Amino acid sequence: MSTRTIPLVGNRKNTGETLKMAGLYAFLYGTAFLFLLPYIWMMSTSLKTEQHVFSQVPQWIPPEITFEWYIAVLTGAPMIQWFLNTLLIAGATTVIVVVLNSMIAFSLTKLEWPGKRIVFGVIIASFMVPVFANMVPLFALISRLGLVNNPLAVILPFSAMPIGVFLLVQFFRDLPDEIIEAARLDGFSTFQIYYRIVLPLMKPAIAALSLYTFVYTWNQFLWPLIVLQQETAFTLPVGIVAMQPTQVFQPGAEMAGTLLAVLPLFIVFLILQEHLVNAVQAQGTVG
Amino acid sequence: MATKDDSASRLDAVRSIDLSDTETRAGLLFAAPYLVIFSIFLLYPLVLGFYMSLFEWNVFMPSESEFIGLENYVRMVQDPVFWSAFRATVYFVALTVPTLVVFGLVLALGVNHNIKGKRFLRTVYFSPYVLTVSVVSLIWMELYASDYGPINYYLSYLVSNTPTWLNSFTWAMPAVAIATVWWTVGFNFIILLAARQSVPERLYEAARIDGASSWRAFRDITLPQMRPAIMFVSVVQFIWSFQVFGQVFVMTDGGPGNSTQTIIMYLYRVAFRQQDFGYAAAIGYFLFFVLVAVSLANYYFIGREENSS
Repeated sequence: MSTRTIPLVGNRKNTGETLKMAGLYAFLYGTAFLFLLPYIWMMSTSLKTEQHVFSQVPQWIPPEITFEWYIAVLTGAPMIQWFLNTLLIAGATTVIVVVLNSMIAFSLTKLEWPGKRIVFGVIIASFMVPVFANMVPLFALISRLGLVNNPLAVILPFSAMPIGVFLLVQFFRDLPDEIIEAARLDGFSTFQIYYRIVLPLMKPAIAALSLYTFVYTWNQFLWPLIVLQQETAFTLPVGIVAMQPTQVFQPGAEMAGTLLAVLPLFIVFLILQEHLVNAVQAQGTVG
Repeated sequence: MATKDDSASRLDAVRSIDLSDTETRAGLLFAAPYLVIFSIFLLYPLVLGFYMSLFEWNVFMPSESEFIGLENYVRMVQDPVFWSAFRATVYFVALTVPTLVVFGLVLALGVNHNIKGKRFLRTVYFSPYVLTVSVVSLIWMELYASDYGPINYYLSYLVSNTPTWLNSFTWAMPAVAIATVWWTVGFNFIILLAARQSVPERLYEAARIDGASSWRAFRDITLPQMRPAIMFVSVVQFIWSFQVFGQVFVMTDGGPGNSTQTIIMYLYRVAFRQQDFGYAAAIGYFLFFVLVAVSLANYYFIGREENSS
């Protein structure tokens, strides 16, 4: 390429680049706009009066606003109870997962004991067990333990999932052994090393796992549907499908219930999304 | 993606601490609580599932169950409803997996450019992923409503005969697939964006100096470098899509006819509506083997690739 042609090529390239960038912006923001429409439809339907809900021409902004559907849902269905059930299940599962997984991940990466490689191999292999393929025997077990309709019926099986062990092992490995040896020389017991050194240093990994587990458990649908059969034991995801706050089918009421069910977790997501993104990315890099 | 050998050798590297009895004891103590729950609620059901699949299982009195050997599996192979569910599942997988992977990749490569509002775009694409499946289904049922939903209103400008979506034999499954893409493409997007960002920039600089077109750079740098992440996303997506349940359960209840009744949906029916646990356990085991085979094939291919490169 001779020096004289460079400016010309550069210019043409610039116009091409500008066009390309404009197309890219249009595509990315256009997609984002389409992605937001379902949310807007949910919100506006939940605030519309019955006549506008069934309007032939879509009304994205309600011409008149009513809160009757929210009142119907909150008084006609045990939304608060479902919310508390979901919170209890997701919260307890998260605590158990974080405590037990960080303990075993610490043991697998920083302590030496016979057979640990076999144990780790079995945990990795269990990754391949599809959760739902296992549900019939798991239900037989849960009902034999008398746990149907009990929050433990969801908490215990979801605490057994291996993904957190795997994620934490990846992170704990990167913790230099020198730190642990130094602590041991300073007279720290194994438990103190775990509690006062490993856990504080691994905060980002633990935060990512916590949020991931919380969201994952909160959103479960099929398993709670099977083991929580009484209306008072439902979680939000199950409840909003089963609920009939009015005798007739009312999209307004459904969308109000949906929005109420979404809201708590969505706010958590908007505040803490970095941690959730980290957890998802970590899955991709460790496989 | 770490293979088993890789992780074992790395575990070897941390053998720096003295082997002593107290350490063994501590190691086991720290591992035990998880292992107890893991054994009871994951490993044991896996064994129990196979055992149950050999019985005409009596839900109310398990001890009265009748041993029938492999009869449940024979019945499965001869059951036309099972095969219809299998076909519906494969159809759903075919509709969703390629779409979700390619669309996720396109969004990731787009956002990777030097553009304004990256964080906003990421939040928007990823946000549906934090919704529960029942919420996603209920919202899309409103969007698809054939008499008052917005989709058919705008579509009626383009075509005279708008489909009835969830009540249509032709369109019910694609409709469920579209809702699924909205719901989960953010997961792939996040993983693929991270993978794209970890491709060393110097590779592209070298290509630019060599005068390579952006298509060549994409084909010869981006794709091969991102291959492990793309494979991972494809396999995970396959496993999820193969186990689709919530969307069809809420949006179509398997209908119209059995056109959207997938394997998990059928398993759910057989187990919890017909109380036929033995047969349902056999279907679960079939699913287990299909998905394990896919995972193993994936490990095999990725392992081979790592050896060859």
